[in-house]
Order: sequence, then C-alpha cells, then structure tokens
Amino acid sequence: MSLRALWVISHQSGENATVRFSRRFSTVEYRAKCLAGSTYVEVPEEGTVLQLLLTELGLSDPDKFYVPLRDDCLHRPRLPALELHVDGPGKGILWPVLTISHGPLILACLCLVDCPLEPRPPLANLFSVSQGLTLLRGLQTFLLGSGSKADTEGLSCRLAMLPSIMLQVCPLGTPLDVPTVATAATPSVPIPAGNQKQPAWKTGFHKGRAVVNVAVKETVRSMQYGQRSRQDLWDVYGTVTCKCEVEGVLPNVTVTLTLPPNGSPLQDILVHPCVTSLDSSILTASSVDNCDGSAFSGPYKFPFSPPLEPFMLCSYTSQVPVPPILGSYQLKEEENHLRVSATLKLHESVKNSFEFCEAHVPFFNRDQMGAVEMKVSSGQLDVSKEKNLLVWSLGPKFPKSLEVTMEGRITFSGPTPGPTDPLCTELTAYIKLHFKVPDITLSGCCVDQHSVQVYSSAKPRISTSRELESKEYFIWNSTGNAPVSSAQLML
Amino acid sequence: MAVNWAERVSAFSCRPSHFLSGTNAEAFLAELLRELRDDRASDSVKVLMLFPLCEHPSLLCPSDSIGEETALELMSVFLQCPSKSLQLRCHLLLAITSVIVCTSCVSSHTPVSVDFIDLLLQLSQNNSDVFCESSPQSIRSIACDSLRELEACCPGLLFQHIELLGGLRQQETTLLHQAYAGLYVLVLRNAVYQLTQETEAGAEHLKALLGANASITWEADRFSCLANKRDLSVLSCLIRGPMGFVPTLKTGPDCKELRSVLSSLLEESYLLTPLCQAAMLHRLTEVVAMVPGVHPAIFRAQILRLLGTSQVCLLHTTLLMKYVFTDSLFSAEDEAFMLKRLVVLAQHPLLSTSEKLFYMDCMLHFPENRPISCNDGDEALPVLLTPQLASVLLPTVLNESFTMLARFNMMSLVYLDEVEGGEEGDGKGLAYLNEHLNSLLSIVRSCASRDVVVAFFRAAFLYLMYFCHIRGYSCSLIEKLCELYLHHTKLAPHLITLINHIQNMFPESDWAEDLLKALQRAITQSLLDKLTLQDLHFHLKMLARIAQEAKIPQGSTLKFLADIITSTFSTLCTSDWCLGNSILEVCHRLLLHPSLETMLVPLADVLQHLACCYGDTDIQDHACLYYALLTTLSREKLGGVFTRGKTEEGQQVKTRTLSTLVAESEGLTKMLTVQQSHEAVFSLNKVRTEIQETKADAESHVHSTLGEANATLEVYRAQFKDPDFASEIILNYQMDHINGHNPYFEQLFSIHLHCSLTDDNFEKIDDIIIPYLFRDRPSPVVKLRMKPRRPCPTTLQVTALFTTQDGLSWHTVLPDIHVDFQYIFIPLPSPQGWGRDSKCHLFEQLWNEFCLESGDSASSLFCCQVKVSLVNIVNKHLSSYLISDMSQEEEYKVLFFFPPQFHVLLRIRSDEENRVHFKIATDNWQLLHNISSFLQSITSAKEDTTE
Repeated sequence: MSLRALWVISHQSGENATVRFSRRFSTVEYRAKCLAGSTYVEVPEEGTVLQLLLTELGLSDPDKFYVPLRDDCLHRPRLPALELHVDGPGKGILWPVLTISHGPLILACLCLVDCPLEPRPPLANLFSVSQGLTLLRGLQTFLLGSGSKADTEGLSCRLAMLPSIMLQVCPLGTPLDVPTVATAATPSVPIPAGNQKQPAWKTGFHKGRAVVNVAVKETVRSMQYGQRSRQDLWDVYGTVTCKCEVEGVLPNVTVTLTLPPNGSPLQDILVHPCVTSLDSSILTASSVDNCDGSAFSGPYKFPFSPPLEPFMLCSYTSQVPVPPILGSYQLKEEENHLRVSATLKLHESVKNSFEFCEAHVPFFNRDQMGAVEMKVSSGQLDVSKEKNLLVWSLGPKFPKSLEVTMEGRITFSGPTPGPTDPLCTELTAYIKLHFKVPDITLSGCCVDQHSVQVYSSAKPRISTSRELESKEYFIWNSTGNAPVSSAQLML
Repeated sequence: MAVNWAERVSAFSCRPSHFLSGTNAEAFLAELLRELRDDRASDSVKVLMLFPLCEHPSLLCPSDSIGEETALELMSVFLQCPSKSLQLRCHLLLAITSVIVCTSCVSSHTPVSVDFIDLLLQLSQNNSDVFCESSPQSIRSIACDSLRELEACCPGLLFQHIELLGGLRQQETTLLHQAYAGLYVLVLRNAVYQLTQETEAGAEHLKALLGANASITWEADRFSCLANKRDLSVLSCLIRGPMGFVPTLKTGPDCKELRSVLSSLLEESYLLTPLCQAAMLHRLTEVVAMVPGVHPAIFRAQILRLLGTSQVCLLHTTLLMKYVFTDSLFSAEDEAFMLKRLVVLAQHPLLSTSEKLFYMDCMLHFPENRPISCNDGDEALPVLLTPQLASVLLPTVLNESFTMLARFNMMSLVYLDEVEGGEEGDGKGLAYLNEHLNSLLSIVRSCASRDVVVAFFRAAFLYLMYFCHIRGYSCSLIEKLCELYLHHTKLAPHLITLINHIQNMFPESDWAEDLLKALQRAITQSLLDKLTLQDLHFHLKMLARIAQEAKIPQGSTLKFLADIITSTFSTLCTSDWCLGNSILEVCHRLLLHPSLETMLVPLADVLQHLACCYGDTDIQDHACLYYALLTTLSREKLGGVFTRGKTEEGQQVKTRTLSTLVAESEGLTKMLTVQQSHEAVFSLNKVRTEIQETKADAESHVHSTLGEANATLEVYRAQFKDPDFASEIILNYQMDHINGHNPYFEQLFSIHLHCSLTDDNFEKIDDIIIPYLFRDRPSPVVKLRMKPRRPCPTTLQVTALFTTQDGLSWHTVLPDIHVDFQYIFIPLPSPQGWGRDSKCHLFEQLWNEFCLESGDSASSLFCCQVKVSLVNIVNKHLSSYLISDMSQEEEYKVLFFFPPQFHVLLRIRSDEENRVHFKIATDNWQLLHNISSFLQSITSAKEDTTE
C-alpha cells in the first residue's frame, strides 16, 4: 500500500518535458527489493523515467511518424498503470507506474507490489493502486485546480510548496491524505474537545453562527442526430455541493433531496466519505438497470458530519424524458458555398430565463470563412477571430414561440486554411450549445431549505440553490454522417 | 563558502551516478554532515541537504557501518536541534529512518537502531506541548509514521510495544489518533501473522497479545524481527482470493478481545481520511482472514457506506474484501450491485479517465463469489456481465484513445463469448465493433495524424486477435486496409507490424497473407507517374515485406521493380541513395525467395540495370554484389549467406560462420576448383564500324574565324600536354557463343575476360567483366580500350573465367583477336568547337611541316586505277577522316590520327581515266608501308563496285 517513487512532469503537448518534482521513498524501495527478490528492477534516474514515460504515453519524438517502441500495435499502454521498459544494466520492466496526464502535467507514481511479481498479478488485486490513484488525483487538483486551465504562475508556486506538502500527506511513501489548499495553509487553532475524537479530515473548528450552503447543479449532455435511423441521446447528472460552517468536533447535518411527485428516481448515487450512514434503498437505482416504476424515489436523506472546506456531498444521474433544447441542423454543399440552416426549440417545461445561451457552429478542415450571409430569427451572430466558427448568442430568453432559426450561406475563401479536426470533416459537422439556466434542475431534484437539519445550539443560516448547465451538447448535421457516440440504444 | 546547496542537491537527485562520479559518496556524505552541524546554515538549507539521505541512503552509506555512523551523527544533530526547528526535526527523523532501514541497521539490531526506536516511542508519547504539537506536521505524527515504516520494513519490530500503542490509540483525541491507529493496526497484523506461524499458538496467545491476559509472558526477543528469521512472506499481502492460501490461527469461536478491538477500530474508521481508512480496512481484512474465529460479518456495518462511496480507494478495499470473504460477507445481490456499480463508474462523467479505466480493470478481474475458473492473472468476464449490461461501455470515436482501446478490448471479450458460445446474440455486437473499426478507419483516412493512426492500428490488432477467424469481417477489413494504404502510404510501417503480429499469433491463419497479396496487387497496379518519391519508398518497403512470403508469387513485384528503374519517373531520382537502397532491399528478399528459380532472369536484369545505370556508386556496388551472388552462388549457398546474416541481425556476423558455411557444403572440392573447358565456348567478334558523322561536320563554317589561323597549330599541339589526350583507341567486340556447343553453356554468368599482349606496342589491357551471356539473348558488346605505344597492328590472346548455372567456375581460351591497321587510327582529335576551316588550316600547316621531311617526317605518292568512282571510296572508307568538304570533288583532304601522336595526311585526286593519286605526308615514315597496303585494300575491294 505504498509508493516507491513519485514524479511530477510538465510539458507542452509532449515537448519541453521536464521533471518538476520527484520523490523516491527509499524505505519502500527497500521493501520492494526484499519482496521482488531476483525480479527486482531498480527505479532508474529521472531523465530515463521521463523518456520512458513519454514513450509510453505516445508523446516522445513528436516529429517522427512511426517509432516502433512507441507505436507498435501489439503493445497497448494500459492506463492508469503503465509499464516502463528499462534498458541497460538495470534491465527489466517497472510496473505499475500509475499515470495521470492532465493539461500541462503528467503525474506518475510507482506502486509497491506486495505479492509475487510473476505471474503478474491483476492490477485490481494490488491495494496500492487505488492509494496511488487517489494521491495522484489529489495532487492534480491541488496543482491545477478543478479546471484544466494552465496557470503557469500559480502552478510554479504550488510546485514549490510540494516538498512541505509531501511531508504531511506522504512522508515515507505511504499516502495519508490528499493535499488540499487547506492543508497547505497554517492549521487553524483546535479546541481541545472532550472524549470525542477529532476527524482526521478536519483540521480545525468553526466558531460562530452556523451557515449551511447547499447547491444542486445539473449538467445535461446531448447528441442529437435528426435522423430516423439514429436515436437522439441525452443524459443528466447532478452534483450536490455543500459548504457548512457548523460548531463542534463532529456536528451532525442532514440534507434531504426531494423529487417532484412523478419524477424519475435518482440513479447511480455516489456519496462523500463524510456521510455517516446510508439507506440501501438510496443506492438501488442504477442507470444500467432496467428501471421499474416501483423504484424508490425519495426523499433522499444524507446524514453527515461536514468537513470545513466546501465538498461534493453526492452525485447522481437521472433519466429525463426530453432534452431541454431540441435542435436540428442541415448543411448542404452548393457549388462554391455552404447552405446552412438550423432550428433550436426550447422545451416548454424549461424555464425560459438563461444566464447565457450560445450556439457554436464550427467549420473545420476548410479554408477560412469568406462571405457570411446568414439570418437569425433571434439573438446575434458573430464570426470568430479565427474565421472558422460562428457564435450565435441567443441572449437571456427564447422568443415567445420558444423557437429560433438560423439560415443562410457561407463561402470559404479565406487566404489560409482554418484549423483541422479529425471528427468534424466535410458534412460531418455539428452545432455545440452552451447554456446555463439558474434556479432549475431537469430532474426536478431540489433541496428544501427547511429540510436541512443542523444539530447545533444556534439557529443556522441555510441557503440552497439550483442550476442547470450544458456540456457536450451536440446537434449534428442531419445530412452528414455523424460519429456514433453510444451504441447502447442501437443494439 | 559559496556552495549553492539547492543546485548541488538537485544535481544529485537528478542523476546521482553522474554526480558521484564527479566527487565520491564518502566526501559528499561528510560534507553534508558537516554542514548539518554548522550553526550558521539555515534550517531550510539543512532540510534540503537531508533529501539525498532520505532518497538515496544506500548510495551515500554503502556499508552498514557507515550507515550506523551516519545515523548516530544525525541523531546527535536531532538532539541538539532547537525544538522550534520543527521542519528540520521532522526531516531528520525521516532521514534517520531511511538510513537505518536501508543499511540493515534495524534488522541487525544495532544499538543505534534500538536507541532510535526508543527516541521515536518517546517522541510519540510526548504530549507535553499539546497546543503546538497537535498539528499534523508535528514531530509526534512523523515519529508515529517512522515507527510504522520501521515495522513495515521489519515486521515484528514493535511487537513488545503493542499494548502501549493500543493504549495510545484509544486515548488520543487529537488528529494524531489516525497515526496511532495506522501504526497499531500494522503491528497487530504482523503479530497475528507471527502467531499463525507458531504451531502451539491459540486463543490464549491472542488474548495475551491484546493485553487482556498476563498469564503468558513473552520472551523479550521472541518477535524481534520476523523478516529476519523467516521468509519474507510476512511482507506480502495476505489477500490472495478464495483459492489462495492464508495462514490461519486456530482460536475457536472465543475471540472476544480481538473482536472488541476490531469493532472499536472499525467504528472509528469513519474519522480517518479516506486513504488511511482504506489502508486500515485492508489490514483488518488480513487480520480477520487469519483468524477464522472472527466472522467477517464484523465488517457488515461498514459495507453500505463503502458501497456508496465516491472514493476509489474505499471502493477498492471493499472489492478486495469481497475477494477474500466472498459469500460469507457479500450476498448474491451485493455481488450484482457491485458489478453494476463498476459498470456505472467505468463511464461516469464525473470521474477521471484513470479512475474509469481502473474500474474497467476491476471488472475484468471481478472477485466473484463463485468463480468458475481460478486463473488469477487472466482477464475474464464475470458471469453476471451480460452483453446488455456491458453495452454502455461500447467504444466510440469520441473516446480518447486509452479509453477507446480499453473498451474495445473489453467488448471484444464480451462478444467473443457470444460468438463462441453460440448464444442467442444476433451478432449485432460484433457488427458494432466492426462498424466502429470502420469509423476509425475513415477518420484515419481523412486525418492521418499520429495518435489517431496508432489508436486505429491497436484497435485493429485487438479486433483481429479476437475475431480473425470471422471471415466476412476480416476479409472486408483487408480491402479497406489496402485502400487506406494507397491513400496514406506512410502507414506502411504500421501495417507491416500489424501483419507481423497477426502472423506470429495465428500462424495457421491466412489473413496476413491475404492482406499482403492484396497489397502487392494494389501496389504493382498503381500508376508509376502518379507516385511521389515518398509513396515509392513505402511501396518498396511493403514489397520487401511481401517478398518474405514464400507462398506469394513475386512476378508482379519484379515487374514493378523493372518498371521503376526503367521508367521516366526514375530518371528524376536515380541518384537517390534511399530509393536505390529500398530497391536493393526488395531484391535482397527476392534472392531468398523459394521461387527464385523462376525469376532468375528478370531479377538479374533488374540488378544489372542497377549496377550499370544507377546514379549512386554505393547502390551500383551493392547491386553488383547481389548480382554476383545471384549468378555465382547456388540457391542453398545464397540462402545460407543471407539468412545467416539475417538471423544474427543486431549482432555481428562472424566471419567464421560464413566460412564454415562454405566448408560444410556438399561437393566442396568441385565448388572451389576452376574447371577447364577444352574448346572455346564463345568468341569476340569485331563490330563493323559504322561510319559516324563527326560533330564537326554537322557544325557550319560560321564558327571558324580565320583570325586565329596562326594559332591553330599551337592550339592543336597544346592538347597533347595532357598525356591521356587521344591516347586510346576503343574497339567494340560482340561476344557470341561459338556455334554448335553444348547446352550446358547456354547461360553464362560473371564472365571475366583477360587479354594478354603478344608484343610491347600497347600498354597492358585491363580485365573486363561481363555480367552474363545467354544464347537466346542479344549478345553483349565488349569495349576494348587499348593504349598504343607505337602505331602497329597487333594480336591479343584472350582467356575467360565464368560461372555456369550450377554454380561451377570455368576457364576457357578464346580465339585470338587481331587488331588490324585500320583499327589503330582515329579521326583528327580537334579541339571542341573547331569548324571545318580550322581543321583545313591545321591540315595545311601539318602538310607543309611534314613535307619538309625533317626527322621521321616523310611524303610519298600512291597511284592506282579504280573501278568505282572516288566519291564512293571516300564515302565508304574515309568519310570519318575527311577534312575537306565532301562536295569539293577536285581534291579530298584526309587525315588519320594514330595514337599516341602520329598523323598520316592524304590529298586525293582523280583524273578522267579513273586513276587516283594519293599524295601522302606523315610524321612517322614507318607508317608508309602500312598505309600503302591499306590504300591498296580499299581501292581494290570488289564490293565497292557492287555498292
């Protein structure tokens, strides 16, 4: 359950890769040596590890089209655990090297295998793997934040903090916790409590009026094809995020999610480890099951003792009968221009009040746009700076008819070819919708302010919110050949 | 002292071996220790200096004694360290731990390790300064962690302190309880393991261990260090699945104490961070597995919480628990639920790719309650995973490549069951996978970027690995791959690797061969003029691979090669070494092909063409070598030579292996001896000289400017300053079989001609090599280059060495070659660009000079009666040497030049009675005799009348 070594590597799409931080755990290495006996393979030096990792991830030699070591079809690098083929005097295979590659960072660690290495044990049987994954994921969040935006300065600053962070979360190769911004800060002053043990995931105590904030956020994804032969797909998943400031060592809070009378049950519920107990009925509904009408549909009670920092109490998925916006999109190649027509229709059950709503219409693998003669029934149409994208801003509201259209033609006569994309070629094209609607959820799931129970002396201040947003919301050109996104319904 | 420690330490960490090659470990260690003792150095620098000791203790302390000394040093630094230097003290503890573990101080109980353990135990109990030390950074938690690591590296080390540690864990209410719990659980686990190894151990011992019963006293060093005494299995994980062996302790059902300890630990597990919680549950699972007296149901209360968790480490622990306890803890419904959870998690939008992929791996090694087989390592699908359930994991082109391939692999397994089991599946699943592969293929076709291509070929390999035998799909894949290849020839290396792997994996399958055949067809039928050089390069690569297939006829390949090297296309790039090399590579493979017999001639043609006409010398040489090998070695030898070289690829081919190869072959003596042919096999016959218009004739008079007339002679003579100028005569001979000879000599190869002189009038003649002589082919022309010393006719004796088809070498004598007088002179070697006027001028100057008859110069007259007109004679025999215009019929001026530097000048006139006057002037009077005979022969020749 320990790690032999850890590396943090930064790169720019495979180039200028450097090891920004590394740590070897010599005592774990000592154990690895004892355990592996003759099959022991030493951890090579930094530079070698870097090169081998890049090769495994397909990032080495970006200017060469085929490199046998990197591209052989027989060898399938199997994330999350790569094998590094060490050459030279310490020849052998280092495995499992857990790897998370995200944005400009590659995080990797080598796990201790505490059973015979030959025959190679299944990854699933090695306890250190999930430990390593958890630590790497925690490091990733710590270094990059939850977004994937590269913030070079912030990153260097946080990298500089790693040595002292590692002293706390993984001093001798056995991960104890994941780094959080809170662990990095000076620990707050604890109150020596009575007999109640302090949770290890709570580094301090709140003093003052209790404040509980519960936010339900749903995300809708969709693939709309506009073809008879292919069924449109959409799915919804939600997260419930809490920020609780409540007095006491181990205060009790209960949040209850409720659904409207005939709402479909919440599925695939995952909970934060601070949830103290769960009713089995909450967990039964699954999106991969054939759901029956008799399924449990709430209320969903989550008793927990909150950590100090904001956290995701639970997540769920839901099956809703209709997508919030139904779109259709047709492209036709005509002589020297492209005829474009699109319609978007807001479903009546969705609140017509957007924080924003934009339709992005990209044209890849073509020249830049020349003349754009387009008409929209509502909103405003802009051509992006790169001249390969139309941005249709629909504003805060759909018109009364709840339907908007866009029509016209585009010629592509720009002086330079626009960006390329493997998927979106010729008539295989899409509109991508970006929208956010405050104060609703598609599943109807909500947290009633009064249902939040806080067992504390003072009257707590409780606030709740809801929000719906889109992600990967695609409307494919119905005259083209859209790539299949899921075969579940096809079969 | 301006040592930049940050730089030095980072240089060391980055490449320790390199760093230590500059200094040595001992010196560096001494330097570190000295600096650590230095009061002037700041804490942060000292912390930095401890990293090398933490990370590479065994490099810096190569022996146990050095380790011991170092540890002692560090301990004294620690003890002198002010308590406010928290970070430094923490790092010192870590460094000492690393040093004493890695230099085996712990396992050999050196005093320093005993002292250090005492120090750690002291530190961990010291709660004097609660306020300041309860932060997780505290010395206490680091001390606990160091103790835990020592126990992990040396199981049993802290056995004596188990009671103390249990007490500390229970009392502690600050964050430190997590560190105590972790330490205690590990010591407990190791202690229980030790009990399982003692034959007489039972419930009483377990009780004593937990401190409830003092009736059994332990010998102090009984458990000193398990790993020391026994095998290392105590270090290994004990979770080995239902079929694995776990050592057990016979206690009977009465394990109240252990149960209560476990319950209390489990109850508080909620308070630990998920990582520590998971680790503790994992250790407790091991303990319960070793003590059958405790029912696994003790975990029951935690299960629901664990099953609903979003934390990968907690769910993983639960899966491992299931692996050990199977249906004694998890019901069939639990099992079904867990599998569904895994399916959900493996494609959950909120999880990271690595977590999702890990869950997929867990599905492929799902711990079933009643596993059908017990093959541990192999991927196998759980029975409950139906195609319907798994269908959410079908790969799509929108997945990134790692996910796509993992899904492709998994779904292939799912549908393989369907295909093989003949279950009621309607083949839609397989059809989907096939369609997915086609979508990938069309993406590659439209955008062959590196990663997309690699992902496609990996998917194709997986597909073929599972479904190669499904003919319909795999055949259509052949077609599509061919078409894809023609579209992107740069995919050749990918295709070749795919083919190689499929062939290795399924030697009995025809798929790879069929694909190669299709590729051969596609390549050889492609239009040459549409190919780019790059296409051609990849085509040749592919053809070389195809040529390795014994069963594929290579005729079309050879034709393609011949077309390339003769087509106009190739004229553009016939000096490209890479291209030539690629062609040779194909030839090389063809030389080894079993059907070599049938393509001997076309292959020889190709090689000969390369050897003669290719614009790169290296390629020419290699082609020559191959040609020589092809034509001189028998098939077996050829194969021997090439395959030896091939099989030992990467190593140096030993010369000995090649020589033994020859020595061991049959008919050695015959092979090595040169046979003598008693009769001439072929002869060299003079090619009738065609009358060539000299370039000067074609040029007009315009060029000539008589302004430089006086200089003409000097310019002409200046040319001879170069000793090689006009010093050679080139004679063309045709090599022909001598009629009526035996068919054994029908095809001759590598003919080596040697000409011997019979007098000293000529320089020695270089040997000549002729690639082949076939009776049914046009005869090759031999160019004989001769350098006369004196202008005299001569006779050459010619012998030849050659090889016959069966690989034997022969020696033969050819009929003599007579070099007659008319072959030893050539037209005037005038400077380039000279017009007729200049030549006439030169003629006049030379004439005047020779007529002075000084030195060897002489003049003469030859008269004769001719039967034909003079014009005819001149036209037929002298036109190449004519200086004056053919139309000036009153007087012809003719000049013969005799290398190395002699001339015969003729002024020819005829009168009305067909009498011809040849006025002769020469700078070598000895030629007069021969010239008279020559003039006689041309004027008296009868055929002149007929023509």
